[in-house]
Amino acid sequence: MAVKPFTRQPKLFRTLEPYLYLAPATLFLIVVFFYPIVQVIRLSFMQMEAVGGPIVSLGNYQLVFEDPVFWRGVKNNGELLLTVPIMTVLGLILAILLFERVVGWKIYRTMIFMPSILAVPTVGLAFVYLLGMNGILNTLLRGIGLGAITREWIGNATWVIPAIGLVIIYREVGFGVILFLARLMSLDQEILEAAEIDGANWWQKHTYVTIPQLGAVIEFFVIVEFITMLSWVFGYVYTMTSGGPSFASTVMEFYIWKHAFAFRTPGMAAAVAVILLIITTVFIFLQLRIRHQRLD
Amino acid sequence: MNFRKTPFSPGKIFATLLKLIPLVGFSIIAAYPVYYMVVTSFKTRIDWLNNQFGLPSKISFDNFIAAASQGRMLIWFRNSMIVTILSIVISTLFAALAAFAVARMRFRGRQFYLNMMISLMVIPPAVLIVPLFGIMVTANLINTFQGLIFIYVGLLLPFSIYLLVSFFRGLPVELFDAAAIDGCSSFGTLTRIVIPLSAPALVTLVVVNTLWVWNELLIALIFLQSDELKTLMPGISLFKGRFNNNEPLVLTGAFLASLPMILLYLAGQRFFVQGMVAGAVK
Amino acid sequence: MKTTALRLMTLLLVLTFLVSACAKATNVTPGAFPVEAKPTATQGMPTAAPPEEKIELTVWYWGDPDAPGADKWLAETADKYMAMKPNLKITIVTQDGSTLFSALQTAASSNSGPDIASQWATGPVLSFVWSNALVPVSDFVPADELKHWLNLNENTYNGKVWGASLYIVGVYFIYNKDMFQTAGVTPPGPNERWSWDQFMAACEKLKASGVVPFALGDSDGYGGAWFFSTLGMQGLDSTDELRQAVIGKASFKDAKYTGFYKLLDDMVKKGYLNSDVMSIQHAQAFVRVSQGTAAMQWGIDGVIKQTLKDMDPAKVGVMRVPKWGTGKMADYGDATQSTSYLITKWSKHPQEAADFIAFWHSQERLNAWYAATGVVPADDRFDINLVTDPVMKQVITWNITGTQVWLENWIPGQVDGDGDLPAGQLIFSQGGTPDAAADIWERAADSWRKQNPKELENWTNWQQ
Repeated sequence: MAVKPFTRQPKLFRTLEPYLYLAPATLFLIVVFFYPIVQVIRLSFMQMEAVGGPIVSLGNYQLVFEDPVFWRGVKNNGELLLTVPIMTVLGLILAILLFERVVGWKIYRTMIFMPSILAVPTVGLAFVYLLGMNGILNTLLRGIGLGAITREWIGNATWVIPAIGLVIIYREVGFGVILFLARLMSLDQEILEAAEIDGANWWQKHTYVTIPQLGAVIEFFVIVEFITMLSWVFGYVYTMTSGGPSFASTVMEFYIWKHAFAFRTPGMAAAVAVILLIITTVFIFLQLRIRHQRLD
Repeated sequence: MNFRKTPFSPGKIFATLLKLIPLVGFSIIAAYPVYYMVVTSFKTRIDWLNNQFGLPSKISFDNFIAAASQGRMLIWFRNSMIVTILSIVISTLFAALAAFAVARMRFRGRQFYLNMMISLMVIPPAVLIVPLFGIMVTANLINTFQGLIFIYVGLLLPFSIYLLVSFFRGLPVELFDAAAIDGCSSFGTLTRIVIPLSAPALVTLVVVNTLWVWNELLIALIFLQSDELKTLMPGISLFKGRFNNNEPLVLTGAFLASLPMILLYLAGQRFFVQGMVAGAVK
Repeated sequence: MKTTALRLMTLLLVLTFLVSACAKATNVTPGAFPVEAKPTATQGMPTAAPPEEKIELTVWYWGDPDAPGADKWLAETADKYMAMKPNLKITIVTQDGSTLFSALQTAASSNSGPDIASQWATGPVLSFVWSNALVPVSDFVPADELKHWLNLNENTYNGKVWGASLYIVGVYFIYNKDMFQTAGVTPPGPNERWSWDQFMAACEKLKASGVVPFALGDSDGYGGAWFFSTLGMQGLDSTDELRQAVIGKASFKDAKYTGFYKLLDDMVKKGYLNSDVMSIQHAQAFVRVSQGTAAMQWGIDGVIKQTLKDMDPAKVGVMRVPKWGTGKMADYGDATQSTSYLITKWSKHPQEAADFIAFWHSQERLNAWYAATGVVPADDRFDINLVTDPVMKQVITWNITGTQVWLENWIPGQVDGDGDLPAGQLIFSQGGTPDAAADIWERAADSWRKQNPKELENWTNWQQ
């Protein structure tokens, strides 16, 4: 929808005006996004013991691909992706239950959403103690006679990623619940009531009517969480495990940070950054694709 | 919202109970870590060793005092406040300007600009840190508030612009026509008409962005190294290493770092909720 | 409802502003020594010369975990020094052990940061020397002062001393004499040292008597790393032999480098350790003997002193780490300056920084150091007779007698972080075999060599 030109001003000004409005924001975007993206691609091809070293073309990529720690990071990011279905199902169930307005639902909603506003370091630190050998989880397990299962959830190479996944689910489910609930509240009630009149029970009603109605939001949530699992989990790893024990919980972001700042190999960090960027871009395309399909 | 009241019958009561179990259960799980942190903050270490999960046997403020003096939490708190407020003010200002142009002015590449914002929203900061570090070193802005704020503003812009464009586009066209007829300049329209009407969207934006900046870890960790300038999140993530034999202190620090946001949330839940939902529900 | 919410939020914002306005930048830990009154003209002294340029020194300090009380001592030292030099402002920033190396790396990359930095001796210090981040301490401290400082050989390169020593600490096992007695274990005599077999036999007896034989914390990797330095050293003849593996002329998979992981694995499998090894950090295990929850644990001077304070000193025993290896270094001691204090290249006041460090070695400060920490200062002018406690005396005698090598100092920081620490964690988290642990070492060294060709050159040319 076009605006009637502000006729009192000279034409040149009118043509330039939008750019003036865009200028400050665009300046920041160039410095913080565009230039760095170009630069990180360039840097990934350079040997960087000192800044601005010689070009080694694919040397850094080769080092990265030969490094089992990198692949462990990729594998861990991948394993974290598996938490997304759990989050989604859990979020859906809770949202639907909240939607049914059982007594006290507003309180539950407040409590369920709270983890999402807690900072990652806060959640991470709390769970280090909660999941420790004598933390609440193990204590409860011992209490119900499952003492044999107890272990150091975060100190164990096999269980550390599932443990971190648990913490992530804890924090992200609230977001899903709110999303789904908001959408549910704006749904057409008649469809649901029609289903009930037709004799659908609770389970059928929601499986065949409610959930399909939520399709778009579910897809949105899943894509957002997939991207989160790939590129927004640094905080958890840094606070809880520093990538340990023995690399068991390293992830791509952590690998980048470590190589850029703990070791002096920013070329490799840049290479992994580019890889991460490519993977993220693929997911963005997927999201746009799905959105456009949905709109049709 | 209409909701059929269900008659009281054993079947219905049972169904309600069934629904309550997961809700109450998950609410307890969600709240437990916060409860744990709060309760631990008021315990001395010995108390905590003896009784990890219950209420404190005697209320002690030692941890709070230690957090402020040894842990420097007050300083970090001040730093987080400075960084957050400045980043939000600047980014919201520039986002409003840009969004106004995209939403209401004609220029080439308008849709492209908007699509660009959507794409930038999902770029992980981890990708940008290496070159950003180089830029900041060259500009001598490492370990300064200005450097960090600059980066935060940049990172906040795509989402902010996107959100405001959605909102501005929803404003009725007649408003602008009327303003134009009255001879209002575009800037005047923006300041006198659009902004006041956008109050709910702006508040939502500010709330969501505040949460993001306050909770941010990776960038603050890299670009603010000196202990005097650190913000809360990098500060407390090192608590575990510094005070490893004083677990209650670590948990107190963790809790205090999130407390401001918890309070804000409890005071103005709807804005947080709206913010999270914005852009997803069409 | 909306306005109430907004009002509440505004109120919260105002409150937080008020709170943050109260935040003052404090110097360091509480209990700092009160500043002495500055002399004024009325006290009969000459009017002060025109005020000199205000000089600020930032010190990134790490030392307290090795020597509890160090932070307080340094704060006191800084206050005294500032009283003597009114134009000087010293800011002390306590460092975190887990980021000690990386934080200085980041500072070096940005060419800005502290004037005085702390860093692990030898290998890590040298990496900063080679990356041109430091100036030699020996350039700024007069030779006749420097000659009294101990263990400077740990940081000497190309004829210059690059790091100042402050204290010497040694690593030993602390044990509970009562628990030993109950289990029927005879500890080694004053000049004896257990063999590994004797140690394992003792663990078996202790376990049978119902106590945790050895308490270890390895969630941060350092508990395991101490085994490398003390046990790993025993398979080698010299630090130069270690260097061969670092530069690639030998392989870490060779038993002489990593054979000791079999011993550790044995300990784990036989259940001689606490159940929460991977949930607690290295330093968290330091209180286990004094808490009565374990019979043995790692100890370093400061920890030993603290344990003597926290429990009945008559029950506290110390012993040298058991001997298993047959290399020449098997008989060497496990003491080191641990942390070295460096002057950075970007510092605008290297001379003032050096002067401050020299002040640490003044007689009164050395005595104050010992009184505060119980750790022997790295200075031959310190009077050993000031040490009265028999246990500490034994420890200090061990520390300064004979050749001492702390092996962890003799590998590059990256190999330590990516090899040493994870290898130990692999064994203690039961995530792999001793062979896999050796693999981690070899891979870490290999990656370091490939990723740091310039540093590799330096290591190759470095004669030890």
